[in-house]
Amino acid sequence: MKKFTLTVALLLAGLVGRAQTQPAAETGYEARQLKIEEINFVSNYYHQEGNNSAVTGGIGTEKLTNYANSFDLVLSKIDRFNRVHTLSIDANIDYYTSASSDNIDPLTISSASKSDIHFYPSVTWRVADPRTRISRSLGYSYSREYDYQSHGFTAQVSKTSADNNREVSVRGSAFFDTWKAILPSELRPANYGSGAHNDRAGVDYKPRNSFNMALSLSQVVNKRLQLLVVLEPSLQQGLLSTPFHRVYFTDGSERIERLPGTRLKLPIGLRANYFYGDRVIIRSFYRFYVDDWGMQAHTANLEVPVKLTPFLSISPFYRFHTQTAVSFFRPYGGHDPNLLYHTSDYDIGNISTQFIGTGIRMAPPGGVLGIRAWNALELRYGHYTRSTGMVANSLTLLVKVK
Amino acid sequence: MTSTLPVSPLTDALTLHRRVLRLMGNRFEISVVTANDGAWAEARIDAAVAEISRVERLLTTFDEASETNRINARAGIGPVPVSPEVYALVERSLRLSALTQGAFDITYGGIDKRLWNFDKQLTALPDPQTARQLVRLINYRNVRLDPADSSVFLTETGMRIGFGGIGKGYAAERAKAIMQQQGVANGVVNAAGDLTAWGHQPNGQPWTIGIADPTPATSHTATQAFSHLCISNLAVATSGNYEKFVVIGGKRYAHTIDPRTGYPISGLKSVTILAPNAELADALATPVMVMGTRVGLHLINQLPHVGCVIVDEHDRLFTSKNMKLT
Repeated sequence: MKKFTLTVALLLAGLVGRAQTQPAAETGYEARQLKIEEINFVSNYYHQEGNNSAVTGGIGTEKLTNYANSFDLVLSKIDRFNRVHTLSIDANIDYYTSASSDNIDPLTISSASKSDIHFYPSVTWRVADPRTRISRSLGYSYSREYDYQSHGFTAQVSKTSADNNREVSVRGSAFFDTWKAILPSELRPANYGSGAHNDRAGVDYKPRNSFNMALSLSQVVNKRLQLLVVLEPSLQQGLLSTPFHRVYFTDGSERIERLPGTRLKLPIGLRANYFYGDRVIIRSFYRFYVDDWGMQAHTANLEVPVKLTPFLSISPFYRFHTQTAVSFFRPYGGHDPNLLYHTSDYDIGNISTQFIGTGIRMAPPGGVLGIRAWNALELRYGHYTRSTGMVANSLTLLVKVK
Repeated sequence: MTSTLPVSPLTDALTLHRRVLRLMGNRFEISVVTANDGAWAEARIDAAVAEISRVERLLTTFDEASETNRINARAGIGPVPVSPEVYALVERSLRLSALTQGAFDITYGGIDKRLWNFDKQLTALPDPQTARQLVRLINYRNVRLDPADSSVFLTETGMRIGFGGIGKGYAAERAKAIMQQQGVANGVVNAAGDLTAWGHQPNGQPWTIGIADPTPATSHTATQAFSHLCISNLAVATSGNYEKFVVIGGKRYAHTIDPRTGYPISGLKSVTILAPNAELADALATPVMVMGTRVGLHLINQLPHVGCVIVDEHDRLFTSKNMKLT
């Protein structure tokens, strides 16, 4: 099985409108057109050639082309309690194709999922109080794909220590998702559509809600070493199985996947970043995971970004993951028809995976390919292997436009 | 959980050497970025301080022997030969006066300060006649320059010139020039808010400044920045002090007097000018304040490489066309 994904993310900065109200106060001065020599007089402040001593301002002889033709002003708002308010708006669009989701219905050549546009806007409002060093934020995000849509709400409170070296943060988030219950073609009841664009009649929509907590403690140990411990309990409820997954039983029968309606997860993560000089960062990450479906997992990740020049960096990475299967997992044809829950999804089976690759990031001062608005270009390649024999290659292109 | 590459320092072990001291009656802050050579940086700052002190001796009105006071002493009597440096500065000042329709004027020193004593509580405005009488001696057209003997002549008795509206910017520009000549590639000269910056910060990032929040400081807060600008290889000057104003008849008046009418100006809280040259930025900030938003921006929009941010009395923000809000 081979899979190839191409993702393009476009980050759009939120735009702030310009004050366009009419200025009120009038003075005895008139708006008059300047004469050429008056404009030249001002320009002479920047040209200091030969014995032109109009300005004795020294040797500031940068060429005129080095001077800005415009200036960027970044706005934030400080309220009467001296708190800084910032509002950030992001709109991300992914375009992706996937091979496997085309096999839900082998009778149709092109199903709904063959290529999808994934659109996910988000809004975050953050209030930081420099006096108490507490910052609070509220966020909303929306995500939609061909088979589900999601509304997400996030609230976060964090506090920084007086020396700025320690931060404690608590985040709570809730995601209210709706899934389209697409069934394998041979298991659809009568009048149950495929879920494709013109065939949605009778298709069921099921909720899936997630409630997540994140408690984190970050500590700057010294100039080079930073540590982060994070505990992220979460509860999922609703349709947790994927209805287009087929399950085959020891008696030869076939049904759709069936899983419990709730799942409690508890991951504990430890992250350490080590700054080796100004050019190399060693990022390491370990996570232990346990849930009430009987799964235990270990993940370790190492990424070493290296800045080759001020404008070019590479970041090789390696990730290893191993997990035990949930207690309802059996491989193809191994399920006992008398048990209530059953899955053959190797995502929650007994597997280990490895992911190795590298990213390369270019951010030339004059813009990528000389295009000023194009700030940065990042290309990531990854090679992924699973103990089940699956091999995937991914190539991600990240384009940052200002 | 994803991780991205942070913006980290690009240069090796650059440090910032900074000295704060009182010069020209103002707080000066001189900063030099070097690769860990403190003694070298201190010597460059010494050279900058010496240059600013030299300019101060030339322009001060507190020393009877300064060139400025020698010109003022012979107002209405006769021309005074001065150094080429002061002559050139007066000449540029007069051209800036013409550019700003007299809103910038170095003969401002002739104002009668008896009426506008802002330290006392003001309750009423003078009548227009009285006000105009007070500024009758302010007129840049009454400054005669003679290139033959490099002399300056104030034609009216009682006239006085002063470089309060341009001197700090000129001194900052001179200090920068001296340090650049001596090899300082990255630095800032901040003359009480009139500042000029070149190169970059020790971490490789461009120099930035905040523009003060126009809303008054409350009991437990200081005035804060409400917006930010990159100012590498630029000079910045701000006119307008949020604490210095009087309220008469419900209207707020600044401590700046319109040299044409003799009245204190109202309507604007602050004007920030960006330009490649500190003297120019310094000299344009007050006139834009005097001319008002419409006329002031009309002027700035015609000047190459000059930007302007205005905050009016209703805390509204106006900018010149070349300011991009992001």
